[in-house]
Amino acid sequence: MLTRNGARTVRGWMASLATAGALGLALLAPTPADAQVPAPDQERPIAIEGATIHTVSGQVIENGTVVFEDGRITAVGTNVQVPEGAERIDASGKYLFPGLIHSSTQVGLFEIGGINVTIDTNELGTFSPNILAETAINPESRHIGVARSAGITTAVPTMSGGLISGQLAAVSLDGWNWEEMTVRRGVAMLVNWPGPQNQNAYNQSIRALRDFVADARAYARAMDAYEEGASSPPATDSRLESMRAVLAGEQRVMVDANDLRQIQDAITWAEEEGLRIIIRGGRDAEYLADELVARDIPVILTGILSGPARQWEPYEQAYHRPVRLHEAGVTFSVGGESAAAYANRLPWHAGAPVAFGLPADVALRSVTLDAARILGIDDRVGAIEEGLDANILLTTGNPLEYGTQIEQIWIEGRTIDMMDHHRHFFEKYSEKVRQKHGGPAR
Amino acid sequence: MRVRLPIVTGLLALLPLALVAPVEGQTTPVEGLRSQAPGVHAFTGARVVTEPGTVLDNATLVIRDGVIEAVGADVSVPADARVHEMDGRTIYPGFIDAYSYAGMPEEPGDEMDRGPDYWNPQARSFVQAAGILVEDSGQGAGLREAGFAVAHLVPRLGMFRGSTAVASLSDAPPRDRIISDGVAHGFRMTRDTELGFGYPTSAMGGMAFLRQTLLDAQWYQEAQEVYRESPQGMRRPETDRSLESLGPVVAGQVPAFFRTTSEEELLRAARIAAEFDLPAWYRGSGTEYRMLEEVAALGAPVVLPVSFPSAPNLSDPAATLGVSLGQLRHWYLAPENPGRLANAGVTVALTAQGLNDPSTFPEQVRVAVDRGLDPTTALAAVTTTPAEMLGIGATHGTLAAGKVANLVVADGDLFTENARIHDVWVDGVRHEIHRPASVDPRGRWTMTSASPAFTGDLVLQGQPGRLSGSFERTAESTSLSNVSLAQESRRLGFHLPGDVVGMEGTVRLTATVAGETIHGWGELPDGSRASFQAQRVEGPSAGSGPDSRGVPASLDLRDIRPSQDHGREGLPEQPSVVLVRNATLWTMGPDGLIEGGDLLVREGRIEAVGQNLDAPSDAVIVDADGAHVTPGLIDAHLHSGISGGVNETGNAIVPEVWIGDVLTMNNTWMYRQLAGGLTTAHVMHGSANPIGGQNAFVKMRWGASTDEIVFEDAPRTVKFALGENVTRNTNRYPNTRQGVKEIIRDNFRAAREYEAEWARWEESGDGIPPRRDLRMEALVDILNEDISIQSHSYRQDEIFTLMHLAEEFDTRIKAFHHGVEAFKVAPELAAHGAGAVIWSDWSGFKVESYDATTYNARILMDAGVVTSLHSDNSQIASRMNWEAAKMLRTGLTEEEALSLVTSNTAVLLGIDDRVGSLEPGKDADFVIWTDHPLSMAAGARQTWIDGRKYFDLEDEQQDREATEQERARLIQFILDNG
Repeated sequence: MLTRNGARTVRGWMASLATAGALGLALLAPTPADAQVPAPDQERPIAIEGATIHTVSGQVIENGTVVFEDGRITAVGTNVQVPEGAERIDASGKYLFPGLIHSSTQVGLFEIGGINVTIDTNELGTFSPNILAETAINPESRHIGVARSAGITTAVPTMSGGLISGQLAAVSLDGWNWEEMTVRRGVAMLVNWPGPQNQNAYNQSIRALRDFVADARAYARAMDAYEEGASSPPATDSRLESMRAVLAGEQRVMVDANDLRQIQDAITWAEEEGLRIIIRGGRDAEYLADELVARDIPVILTGILSGPARQWEPYEQAYHRPVRLHEAGVTFSVGGESAAAYANRLPWHAGAPVAFGLPADVALRSVTLDAARILGIDDRVGAIEEGLDANILLTTGNPLEYGTQIEQIWIEGRTIDMMDHHRHFFEKYSEKVRQKHGGPAR
Repeated sequence: MRVRLPIVTGLLALLPLALVAPVEGQTTPVEGLRSQAPGVHAFTGARVVTEPGTVLDNATLVIRDGVIEAVGADVSVPADARVHEMDGRTIYPGFIDAYSYAGMPEEPGDEMDRGPDYWNPQARSFVQAAGILVEDSGQGAGLREAGFAVAHLVPRLGMFRGSTAVASLSDAPPRDRIISDGVAHGFRMTRDTELGFGYPTSAMGGMAFLRQTLLDAQWYQEAQEVYRESPQGMRRPETDRSLESLGPVVAGQVPAFFRTTSEEELLRAARIAAEFDLPAWYRGSGTEYRMLEEVAALGAPVVLPVSFPSAPNLSDPAATLGVSLGQLRHWYLAPENPGRLANAGVTVALTAQGLNDPSTFPEQVRVAVDRGLDPTTALAAVTTTPAEMLGIGATHGTLAAGKVANLVVADGDLFTENARIHDVWVDGVRHEIHRPASVDPRGRWTMTSASPAFTGDLVLQGQPGRLSGSFERTAESTSLSNVSLAQESRRLGFHLPGDVVGMEGTVRLTATVAGETIHGWGELPDGSRASFQAQRVEGPSAGSGPDSRGVPASLDLRDIRPSQDHGREGLPEQPSVVLVRNATLWTMGPDGLIEGGDLLVREGRIEAVGQNLDAPSDAVIVDADGAHVTPGLIDAHLHSGISGGVNETGNAIVPEVWIGDVLTMNNTWMYRQLAGGLTTAHVMHGSANPIGGQNAFVKMRWGASTDEIVFEDAPRTVKFALGENVTRNTNRYPNTRQGVKEIIRDNFRAAREYEAEWARWEESGDGIPPRRDLRMEALVDILNEDISIQSHSYRQDEIFTLMHLAEEFDTRIKAFHHGVEAFKVAPELAAHGAGAVIWSDWSGFKVESYDATTYNARILMDAGVVTSLHSDNSQIASRMNWEAAKMLRTGLTEEEALSLVTSNTAVLLGIDDRVGSLEPGKDADFVIWTDHPLSMAAGARQTWIDGRKYFDLEDEQQDREATEQERARLIQFILDNG
């Protein structure tokens, strides 16, 4: 049996501490610091030198330098001029990756399961397009810091329930309030496609959805007419009002759909209504891969680390799903699982398909650049590229790999506090072990 | 029932007297005039099946007053007999249904809350089928339609259902129907919710309840006897009519008749029968073919249903993606169940019970015959076999002089042809089931009428009772409407359009069919009447009705176990010697990590690990080619593969229940877990009870039988549970964490007192022996550390408190499971000597899981606590290497991380003498990985258990093709035939 009793060398951990020391971070504070303190704005340029840079959008750069200033990346390459007064960080032997993007998580909106009042994901009613998911993000939620330590810098906190659940925003996992955290509002309107098990209820729900969109179109036309001075002002309707961006083609529609029939019918609906959709869930997307490719519909795949949906399917069916979508040419992002406390599992969801044939770089792209493109935020995040936000991970290897230590994170250039609540407990109770001196007594 | 009876009686009072006139009884006084129609009948020209396999052609059978007088080819017809010319019809012995609820009440009656009963309403052994038989239930008539003349009546309710009776299916009152009483005792393996929702709530609770009640019955007889001998100075033992009634059962004088719902449940029933040495019969479920050898080995009679599943609706391919191969195979194979069992030597009886419409029984039996059941065996299964089993062979089951006059008259062979039952004679009384048509007007008739003068052809076709026809003249043909035929009056009626007589409107005709002529009259549209005649010129066209038999046996399905998706054909072989060469060998033992290592296996055990081991000449060589090889992974806490409930919630304290009683091999997760490198699992009771049930160990021997998946000679462990799960039920003690401690403490004290009471009695031997209490026996074993405590826990205080309590009783907690806050009491755990079996990263799903940290294992190991991971989830159990790998981010070394799912796990479960590391003498359970086992890129390449290769990535493609192809074949087969 293996216990520690202080005798063993702790390879990864010690290396991590060494780096931390070099970075001048207070990881070995004698008393535990507060967890998850938001970082101050970047005050001076930072240059990280000597690292292997996985830009994701371009080539892997060996022994390169990344410079960022005022939160944005200003230079990436091997031949980079470090600005005057920059903080220089030696990262030789280390790796830089863009921060990971979690495109489907309740982080910030969900604290404790079973205690409904700590969960703000499900508004009453069938149609809630006026609900803005980000407006109830609790910046103090423990799960934010834990997810961040796993390398996730951007997330799309998600709603659920009804047929239209609300509008989703992309947020950074750092900040004192949700406004500071928000990278982009309204990246998608979430449609919760009805379940096909009961044919009658299913048809009724689809009819209700079609009717609602028709009402929204009528409302938009009336509003347009009024705004052009062609009619008197119509009475306002908060729900229908909130559909205007979708109908104008300015806002994507994210459709939760797993079953083959759901996906097929959602595609039909979107095509008839002329909407840009993203399929989320996508359990059976592989059966409709050709249709998805032909219509350029991307998929956010959830539930990778789960069992096959059907008895006859082989054991690795769920892990293998991204491989088939990749081979078919479908654009996809891996969305992990929605539970806020498990946002930190995103790397494991994205990495599992690698064991079953997904190229490692595709896996990485599925939680960085491809996720950003699907969400329409690739002008801000998703790669290490000049002009993008400085969302950067300094690591000992691929951030999807279990053995990799994520030593430091920058979000919009801010040097992030790596003390999350898990680490906080570690510090505090390691102190208890030291005080009690641990040894077995029996 | 109190409400229902008067209604039924009232209804009957309205019926014509003749239908309910009592059969003359032996003690019933006569009212009015006696009815004495002669009871002597001779059946001549019959094909008589006197017993299975013996057929007399053109024979005569004579019955007199309910008893067969003679049967044979040369039998002369008695002068006083009524003669029934059989015209070659077949006569069988009346059928016997070996398992029937006909006339058995569906709900309990007054007896529920009266009299000295057992504490648990599921024990109703005092009930007698004969005593509760409902008069005129009408259910016997339904069985008669299928040819049954006798039924073995089993009370419906409870787990100890009472004594059974054999009864005639005549319309006589019960006193004239009972053939034999107290024949067997009815058992059922799980609780009956008609009797309440209390203990036992689970299948494993059912097993424990059966055992305890049988023990109580044994104790009861002894206690009563001791007390009767010298009651003075003794505490009077309780009076209990169920325990009293169980006396002959526990003495083995009356068979235990178990009603079972799956092949595994049948084998569980057999386990109970064996433990208590009870002669046993079984009412099977129809799935016994899945464990044919095991069922055959019991050597006990099995009563089988013929209610075969209907094919799934496959019209929409999207909707039916979810139809499994297991479902499809069962649809196809279920009709073979009776044949397979009979051919394997099982004594098989067939029952109509389970059919929605009992009258379909003969056609369902023909389906079974089509699918391999020998027709003679089929007949025996409803005649001689049940007669012998039920002890009425002297009077029932065959057609021979002196036997009861129970006959089935059919127009052909019921077991091989689409024949119909015409009459069933019960106790010498005829019951007409299907009356053959007295007149058959089908055919072509030349029809003439004088005024108005017309001729034409009348063509009648279809089935008697559903006739259709046409009127044909030169080239034109007009359909008849409203065609009717009354057999009793021989009256035919139909309508014709008026234009056949040159009028507008409808012609209505009524006529008498007399042999080959029809004569009658009609009313024309103008109100005038005309008579007509017709002569038959052509008989009905030949052709029998539709064949209602099942699908042909044309598919050659694989012989796989389990009989479902990914089941395998036979177990993998166990080579005598296996040498795995050139591996990166994670021994997880004293040899640490061996690069370029060899692993030598002999007869399923590890013989040596090292470098450059010599290959014995007979060794099967496996070249790992540098791949990583680790011990088979172990999951310390899993709930998959359990039948009939994970929790026994019927009581807060249930250590007498045992997961090992209810393991199932029909568990697809095992295949998936095996494919993920899992070789051993600790399959645990749920967390509903402060002291839960005992757990079991399985090895992932996918394809083995229920008994063979069990980890041999495993240590005993018990589940305890603390915190929210056990306190949140406001209707049950405890509701607080303090109460949890108190109820455990109270039971610990009770167990010590129980132990002392037995010790005292064993020394003195005086008086009534103490009652054996399985709950207390388990608790004594727990306190004495023969059963290790594996306690579900979250919060630090509850962990701390349970350790305190254990120390008060000089025992200890082997491991705390889940232990979300175990890190907060790491030094205390180390001091107590308890281990921790935890999740890698579960958090936030309830309040007590909120203070979670992925550093839990790290802190615990730093403090010297032996630590393991667990899945608590079937899917996670299929990737425990990745669970271990997650711990690398908290600073554990690779070997420390892997120890959380191998060596440490084995220690905490007490199975480290067998598994958990690659060391000489241990089981050859190992995994060859495609990559570093703690990498995202790793999957199992091969998983070996006991030196057998149960999983091989290279064979995987064949399995999935075989699974998908067989599924596709079955779907097409249903579309073609279903």
